[in-house]
Amino acid sequence: MEPRELTAANYRTDVWNDWCPGCGNFGIVAAMYQALAEMKTDPAETVVISGIGCSGKTAHFVNTTGVHTLHGRPLPFAQGIKLSNPSLNVLVNAGDGDLLGIGLGHFVALGRRNIDLVVMMHDNTVYALTKGQAAPTLHRGEKPKALNEPNIQDSVNPIALAVTSGYTFVARSYSSRINHLKETIKQAVRHKGSAFIDILQPCVTFDDIHTYDYYNKRVYELKTDDWNPTVNDENEAQEKIMQAIAKSFELDDKIPLGVFYENTLIPTFEERLGEKLPGYLDGPPSREEIERYGKTIVDGDKFGEIFSQFIVEY
Amino acid sequence: MGELRYILGGPQGGGLETTSEVLSWSFAKSGYGILSDREYFSNIKGRHSYVHATVSGAENPFHLSYPVDLVGAMDAETVFTHFQEIDRGGYLIYNKDEDNAKYGSILSMEPELKTRLNEFFKANGIGGTLGELSTYLSERRQINVVALSYSSLLRALQQEASVIAAQASRYVSSILIGSIASLVGLESSSLAFGLKKRFRSGEILKHNMIFSEIIARQLQAFSYKRPSLGKSSLSRGKMVVASGNDFVAMAKLMGGVRFQSYYPITPAADESFTLEKYEKVGGDRGSIVVFQTEDEIAAVTSAIGASLTGTRSASATSGPGFDLMTEGLGWAGINETPILVTYYQRGGPSTGQPTRGGQSDLLSSVFASHGEFPRIVLSSGDHSEAFWDTVDALNYAEMFQTPVIHLVDKFLANSIASIPLPDVSKIEVRRGNLVKNGGDGYQRFDFTSSISPRAFIGDERMWYTGDEHNENGHIDEDSENRIKMMTKRMDKMNLIEESIPEERRHALYGDKDPEIVLLGWGFVKGVAIKALEQLRNEGIKASYFHIRTFVPFPKKSVESIFEDVGPENVVDVECNYEGQAGILVRLNTGHELRKHVVKFTGRPIYLSELVEAIRRVLSGSSKEVLNLGA
Ligand SMILES: Cc1ncc(C[n+]2csc(CCOP(=O)(O)OP(=O)(O)O)c2C)c(N)n1
Ligand code: SF4
Ligand SMILES: [Mg+2]
Repeated sequence: MEPRELTAANYRTDVWNDWCPGCGNFGIVAAMYQALAEMKTDPAETVVISGIGCSGKTAHFVNTTGVHTLHGRPLPFAQGIKLSNPSLNVLVNAGDGDLLGIGLGHFVALGRRNIDLVVMMHDNTVYALTKGQAAPTLHRGEKPKALNEPNIQDSVNPIALAVTSGYTFVARSYSSRINHLKETIKQAVRHKGSAFIDILQPCVTFDDIHTYDYYNKRVYELKTDDWNPTVNDENEAQEKIMQAIAKSFELDDKIPLGVFYENTLIPTFEERLGEKLPGYLDGPPSREEIERYGKTIVDGDKFGEIFSQFIVEY
Repeated sequence: MGELRYILGGPQGGGLETTSEVLSWSFAKSGYGILSDREYFSNIKGRHSYVHATVSGAENPFHLSYPVDLVGAMDAETVFTHFQEIDRGGYLIYNKDEDNAKYGSILSMEPELKTRLNEFFKANGIGGTLGELSTYLSERRQINVVALSYSSLLRALQQEASVIAAQASRYVSSILIGSIASLVGLESSSLAFGLKKRFRSGEILKHNMIFSEIIARQLQAFSYKRPSLGKSSLSRGKMVVASGNDFVAMAKLMGGVRFQSYYPITPAADESFTLEKYEKVGGDRGSIVVFQTEDEIAAVTSAIGASLTGTRSASATSGPGFDLMTEGLGWAGINETPILVTYYQRGGPSTGQPTRGGQSDLLSSVFASHGEFPRIVLSSGDHSEAFWDTVDALNYAEMFQTPVIHLVDKFLANSIASIPLPDVSKIEVRRGNLVKNGGDGYQRFDFTSSISPRAFIGDERMWYTGDEHNENGHIDEDSENRIKMMTKRMDKMNLIEESIPEERRHALYGDKDPEIVLLGWGFVKGVAIKALEQLRNEGIKASYFHIRTFVPFPKKSVESIFEDVGPENVVDVECNYEGQAGILVRLNTGHELRKHVVKFTGRPIYLSELVEAIRRVLSGSSKEVLNLGA
């Protein structure tokens, strides 16, 4: 398809957006619309995949292909889609509950594979759609409004977890710094490999602690002159990982935004597959011919040849 | 004899699987049909496992039976476990070096078996050693005992083939191959063929060939009458000799599966392993991605994702994994997404009997996942059915855009069988209602066609959601939309009912005018059909009604069976406790099965016990619980 010149507004569906007025999710989709327009993304070749939660609705609000999956499972859906058609541009929007609660195993597994897709986590510290219970990003001792008592479980550090799981692009942004978020999304899309963006997203209805005011006072952008997250040489990887982890624990008074870690030296899963399957990149599963005139493409002779191990002639 | 039944036993990890393969290929090469089942513990090394086979010159057998003609033992535990299964006049091959071994001191043996042996040995006045048992068997049970010194055979191998001592012990299982081949007079070219298929070329092949000659020489010392299979009457040609797992993998490849995801589990994983061996068959132009996921949730959801892009995709699992897949199945259901799950049944519930067989997952496959959505459930009775059912399952999934569950018993999955080469030119690939270039107005769930127009992700823009949705795939909770969408989806069940004919849903074998009908499914098929022959010889007119699809159910045919012979004369034969197919018969037809033959020990139903059970049913019993098999 010849890409038409699309504006940010063209990337918005006409589905009525039912997020609470003022919700941080609006900033996330705004940044996505702009990023997709600036990258001239083909809507039919772009897939937004989401989990279940307020964040899960994102797939319906973006005018590309959208797949609204199951709670916790957007990542394996996304991987099946991407691996069977590696030319697709795959973006995952998921809740912190999706990724770090019910779907944590998938989160770690994706990092180990470094499949070329982007994961955007709507980090709102709560299970918003089920009315504000503690999400795995909520720190111990905090008590957002829906909780009866302060949270007694410790939080997961998403950045540190992503870096140690093997994600090769790990960043944090904030839903109301739309420009920063847009640029981060573009960088993540361009990155070859699994990219993770932890997006601070105030839930105005259930989280009365991590408000806009709370973040506005604390966030600051990592500047390139004194922060270099990029691995330029394999020997540097460990040091850059340690640096990213240390930075990720700066959370109290000052919250850094920006790229924590970036490594383009690790082969993607698609490349790893291509290495063992010579036909994979040119003939990925979705593009293979499997049928001719309603019949299998493998004839009897070929069958005998392929499966000679099992054939016995008497 | 016409048929040879044997058991080969030894410690898990000791090479029995190889023995089973080599003998299967060798017998097939000489024109015999074979079924070779494998029974084992959930263990890697040391516990007792065995191969139970039927070799026939008259047919490709799909039944196993007791007693057997021959037991070949790698170790003392095998003899103690199986000696009672040898027919009078049958053969025992064992290691006389172990004559002093006592069953009481075999650590891997389960205590219940030791207790049963205690009673037996006491009642028959025999001491507890292997030597004493061997004497008893030859003197009092007329068994031809082939007592070999395995250590001297291995020493001969060391000398003649210059195998170093440390490696010689690896050839213990080859003693069984060589002795059986020699005892039954298997052509040496056939044995060489079987060995070559397994070991290809090189040292191990050479050693095995030399070893089989050494063993043959040794056996000349025994003056017993040899068991004879007679000449095969099977027609010449090509056969496929493989396990059920392998047949399903072959069919998936032929049927166009290009993405298979799985998480390792017995007895399903071998299928994915086989498929992976052929991942490169597309050469430079294509590939099969076999994706090992972090769990079965990821297995099913990644396969669904692949399906959205137009890839024929599938997964393979067994009970515990299928449980994890159920939420994903519902997503595929509401999103009209084709997906095939090959469901290998083992003994449940929970971890249950992880390496044993069963048919207790029928109700789970028919009812799994919340809410209502169309599905198809197929079940295979033998290796040939497993192959063709896989082909059909892939077509059904795409034709009806819905999940298909294909049930395969562990008995079938892990047993090697011979079947004539399938005519693969008959393999149809029917992809259903596909659209290209739907354009801006494209709606994935268009109301105007009963099967939604399916475009692939990558070709069109579209939406999917596990929420109830409108034609565009966007969330919609309007009541009228709900009624229309739900009705449209569920109407596919009517379409499925219309499109899959009654003849496809079942098969009927045996007497046209029976007095008694056995009703079963899955791997019960082979043994049930064989039982009919035996019953006929006893003057009993019986037939076997084989259920091949549970959804859609062969309602009309089941009803007519009940009308023809009356409810008193329909016998439910299944490998589960509850009679699950019987429950579905009642649900679908209102008829209640009043006679049951069930087995839930994890071992398959054997011919001898089935015939005996039917006799009892005929003389009034309403429930028989079978328990044959070690
Ligand atoms: C298997 C399963 N368990 C529970 C739920 C109920 N549920 C819906 S949304 C949600 C939490 C959403 O939290 P999060 O992923 O953080 O998304 P948010 O709403 O905060 O964007 C839960 C638990 C579900 N849909 N599926
Ligand atoms: S509940 Fe919170 S996350 Fe959900 S829409 Fe409202 S503000 Fe946004
Ligand atoms: Mg959340």
